[in-house]
Amino acid sequence: MKERVAIVDGIRTPFCKAGGVLRAMAADDLGAVAVKELMARTEFPPEQIDELIFGNVAQPVEAANVARVLALKAGLPTSLPAYTVHRNCASGMESITTGANKILAGQADVIVAGGTESMSNIPLMYGRKMTELFTGLFKARTVGARLKAMLGFRPSFLKPVVGLEKGLTDPICGMMMGSTAEVLAREFAITRDEQDAFSLRSHQRAVAAIEGGRMAEEIVPVPVPPSYHMVQERDDGPRAEQTMEALAKLKPYFDRQTGTVTVGNSCPITDGAGAVLIMAESRARELGLHPLGYLVDYAYAALDGQRMGLGPIYATSRLLERTGLTVDAFDLIEINEAFAVQVMANQRAFESDAFSRTYLGRDRALGALDDDRLNVNGGAVAIGHPVGATGTRLIITLLHEMRRRNAHRGLASLCVGGGQGAALALEVES
Amino acid sequence: MNPSVRIERSAEGIVTLWIDVPDKKVNIFNEAVITELGQALDEALAVPDLRALVLRSSKSSFIAGADIGILRQLTDENDAAAKARLGQRLFERIAAAPCATLAVVHGACLGGGLELALACRFRIVSDHASTQLGLPEVNLGIIPGWGGSQRLPRLVGLGQAMQMMLTGKSIDGKRAVRVGLADRLVATEFIEAGIQAFLAAIPAQSNAARTPSRSLRERLLDGTAVGRAIVLRAAKKSVLAKTAGVYPAALALIDLVERTYAGPLDTGLEDEARVFGQLAISRVSKNLQQLFFTRESLKGDPGLPYDGVLPPVDHVGVVGAGVMGGKIAWLMTHRDLDVRLKDIEWPAVAKGFAAAHDCYEQLVRVRRLKPETVNVKMHRLSGTTNYSGFGSLDLVIEAIVENLDVKRTVHCELEGVMGDDAILCSNTSSLSVSKMAGALRRPGRFIGMHFFNPVNRMPLVEIIPGEHTDPATVATVYALAKRLGKTPVVVKDCAGFLVNRVLLPYMNESTRMLDDGVDYARVDRVLRTFGLPMGPFELADEVGLDIGYTVSQVLEDAYGDRMAVADLLQVLYKEKGVLGRKAGNGFYVRNGRTAVENPEMRRILSTLKTPSTPDELSDAQIVDRAILLMVNEAARCLDEGVVANAAYLDMAMIMGTGFPAFRGGLLRYADTRGIADVVESLDIMSKRWGAQFTPAEPLKAMAADGRKFYNPETDG
Repeated sequence: MKERVAIVDGIRTPFCKAGGVLRAMAADDLGAVAVKELMARTEFPPEQIDELIFGNVAQPVEAANVARVLALKAGLPTSLPAYTVHRNCASGMESITTGANKILAGQADVIVAGGTESMSNIPLMYGRKMTELFTGLFKARTVGARLKAMLGFRPSFLKPVVGLEKGLTDPICGMMMGSTAEVLAREFAITRDEQDAFSLRSHQRAVAAIEGGRMAEEIVPVPVPPSYHMVQERDDGPRAEQTMEALAKLKPYFDRQTGTVTVGNSCPITDGAGAVLIMAESRARELGLHPLGYLVDYAYAALDGQRMGLGPIYATSRLLERTGLTVDAFDLIEINEAFAVQVMANQRAFESDAFSRTYLGRDRALGALDDDRLNVNGGAVAIGHPVGATGTRLIITLLHEMRRRNAHRGLASLCVGGGQGAALALEVES
Repeated sequence: MNPSVRIERSAEGIVTLWIDVPDKKVNIFNEAVITELGQALDEALAVPDLRALVLRSSKSSFIAGADIGILRQLTDENDAAAKARLGQRLFERIAAAPCATLAVVHGACLGGGLELALACRFRIVSDHASTQLGLPEVNLGIIPGWGGSQRLPRLVGLGQAMQMMLTGKSIDGKRAVRVGLADRLVATEFIEAGIQAFLAAIPAQSNAARTPSRSLRERLLDGTAVGRAIVLRAAKKSVLAKTAGVYPAALALIDLVERTYAGPLDTGLEDEARVFGQLAISRVSKNLQQLFFTRESLKGDPGLPYDGVLPPVDHVGVVGAGVMGGKIAWLMTHRDLDVRLKDIEWPAVAKGFAAAHDCYEQLVRVRRLKPETVNVKMHRLSGTTNYSGFGSLDLVIEAIVENLDVKRTVHCELEGVMGDDAILCSNTSSLSVSKMAGALRRPGRFIGMHFFNPVNRMPLVEIIPGEHTDPATVATVYALAKRLGKTPVVVKDCAGFLVNRVLLPYMNESTRMLDDGVDYARVDRVLRTFGLPMGPFELADEVGLDIGYTVSQVLEDAYGDRMAVADLLQVLYKEKGVLGRKAGNGFYVRNGRTAVENPEMRRILSTLKTPSTPDELSDAQIVDRAILLMVNEAARCLDEGVVANAAYLDMAMIMGTGFPAFRGGLLRYADTRGIADVVESLDIMSKRWGAQFTPAEPLKAMAADGRKFYNPETDG
């Protein structure tokens, strides 16, 4: 990139398990809360923002172009254009990289970007047969025609199509995301015990981050509708009382008989949103701002959907090519924990010369992702993964931790359902 | 003088009467207009081949009603009835015109305006939001006098007509068509085309009386004596439940309609004029007429004169997320301001959110708002536990605990984070604004802005400039209060300001009555019968004894013995920990939706009371002890210039405490009683119950000079 893009500040809502505390908030509500707080904390003049770009996966039917809806709910000017981007699990990064492109192309000076997801509110739908019956009914003009249409009804038509399940299934390879994780477990021979241990550590790290007050720095507490009597101040996924024994008791979810992936070593479905304010580094300097951090460069890559969990290594490989950096150059690394096994598979692939030769066209391994640099405040297995929002959270969480540690360079990466990966190189002023 | 009515003839036998009352923003009926309209009608009816007569307004509204100034001058029943007959006769001639008659209603069409439209054979209405049709006479203590009470029920049916006339509420164009009041809705932008199309479609000479279509239900209810009795009895019951019968106009109207609805129109009209005459000169109506003028005068009052451009107020902060702060936040977001709500801890902030949302829920329940709208408005509210975001706010309202030192500390913090031009308001109920401003670097931007509890019900806001407050600050906050739909009254910076200074003696005196063996529920009952929305002990529960006590102390410190805190209040709050409704330990406790006397309170009182004093106070004595003590303090306030005039004082008491409007206000009540009688009663009470009753000097002077608070010449 020709110039670093400043991430002036970032804020997110608590991440809460779907169907739980935040269930009365739609994706646009969650996004609006994050954006409104971002504007309040930065006190940046709203009329100087050129565009709002937001990532969202399960786009709500009642809020088409959810970005525009949440921008207005957040109190941004009516004259502010806004649009929604969708790169599945990378949507919350796509909004930021798209924004960066616009800024560097001279199309915009200042952009609010982010991601939001309410997995609580992904609807159940009528199936094709019931839909066709309704269509017939609406078209029928006479009583006879109406009766005839109704006679076509069978009770089985009422079986709902679960939107969430459909969304988490790759329509090309036909596999659910969890099944792709099982593929990686076999390919890299990662045992159930190893996965559970990784998951336990994710919880422990996340709990430590919460109790140490580190997470609170990036979270805006949310008075919870519908009654607003209660306020949600923290992520509700991380469990202080998590144990290996408890994790071991869980049955494999996607492959009942031979599988290793359980709900305990996968990320829970979650509600949440995050937002960042971005502009060119030069602009931030003109305005005398002290940005949280900078986006240096980024890369997306694609691969076979059955192995989508390896997206991070594919994307990181391209990012390293673009920047000339090595894995060692990054002081801290966030890789989204869609599944414990999927992050572990990446760790092994990063260390493998054979993997690099076979899949990346490189002679040697990229380099190890040491545990003490990787997901130091826990990851999605504990915190949760509101698909459209996670990309934004990874960047916010990473930059805050880099500042705390006085670290210079960070890597944020995630895997994307359907077979993609994203990798962002970030820096803070050192 | 320009004529109020212009006649326009077009080729197709159509004559349009354009009503345009000179030198007025809106069309208002007075005698001149009636006369000119009569003459214009003569002229129009003489046009050969007259096919249709169209009544229109040249102004942006139709006709806003009759001149209330004339109403105020009416003092004779027969004279008033004759005035009604005059209008009736004109409208009768319109109704009897031998051609089609059409009222084109765009904008306000109220009172006499709607009665004119009702006299026409047809009405078409615009779909503009300003188009409102209604008969609000009952709000002035009178009834429609120009045929409205007769023609409206005959046109739209008893149920709908009584609903409109008894509440005085108007309906928009769309609804007017739905209920059969208007014949067609036209798009505002296409009114001309709408008139053309309508006139082209009606047959020539179409002036036959119309039989409106009725549903079976309506035919059963309106068309039979039993049905009518059911509708009207229900109406009467609802009126009595809401007003306890203190507003005679509504009841008189129901009786009138009952007598006349099924009979011939001309006897109905005669009856209407007679009842109108009786009501127009009644005390209650005169009081309500006075309040109408006070309201008008407040509307035009800029607070303090200020010529400059006012800064925009769009982003507001509220500090203190208690019930008060939360409801202020509700008010602001409801009027589309962005609010940053700050408290010390997040659970406290959430309480403020909940209080705001409660107000919205009430509006959703009565279908004034849709849940989607509430969602959007609630998004205008954001919370914080530090002052983040306060640097870009235009104005901040501090609504924290009523303690000078705490307030000063918070104000200093706020000054440190707020922009230099931002205004800081304290929602103090009694502390001196000038004293609070002492520690500030920008006292010119500091002011008192006192909202009343519950904020979503009480229309009053006291605006209290301190000695250093800039005129621009006063004007900005005054304008903000108006924008919020409140009635601002500028008051002087004295302890308790106006309303609490007048009200607190009443609270304390009521408490002292308990020492004389009077039952508190009886005090409440007697004062409710007097017309107050709740008695003093119900109010104490609602406000909280802690707050009542704190404010009382501030007042005692400032004014000395006459404002002494009642011993019993002190005991109940300080020793027994009684707080009121919020702690569930007040004079009353909730039993489902109703409040019942708290047995625990009875027990506490029985242990405290000196049993030797039996209750021998009459109802009248209870009223006098409570109300005349307020009059005494109000007279001092007026004398000290705490508020501009007696009318504003009365309005403030009505809007801030719910003092009964039918009495015209506290000082109006004193006028009605007679100042000499007030002074004498106070004198007698001072001998029996203490020096707090010693008549105030200004009152004594008024009694000696035979002066009243209101000018009997001009104020009726």
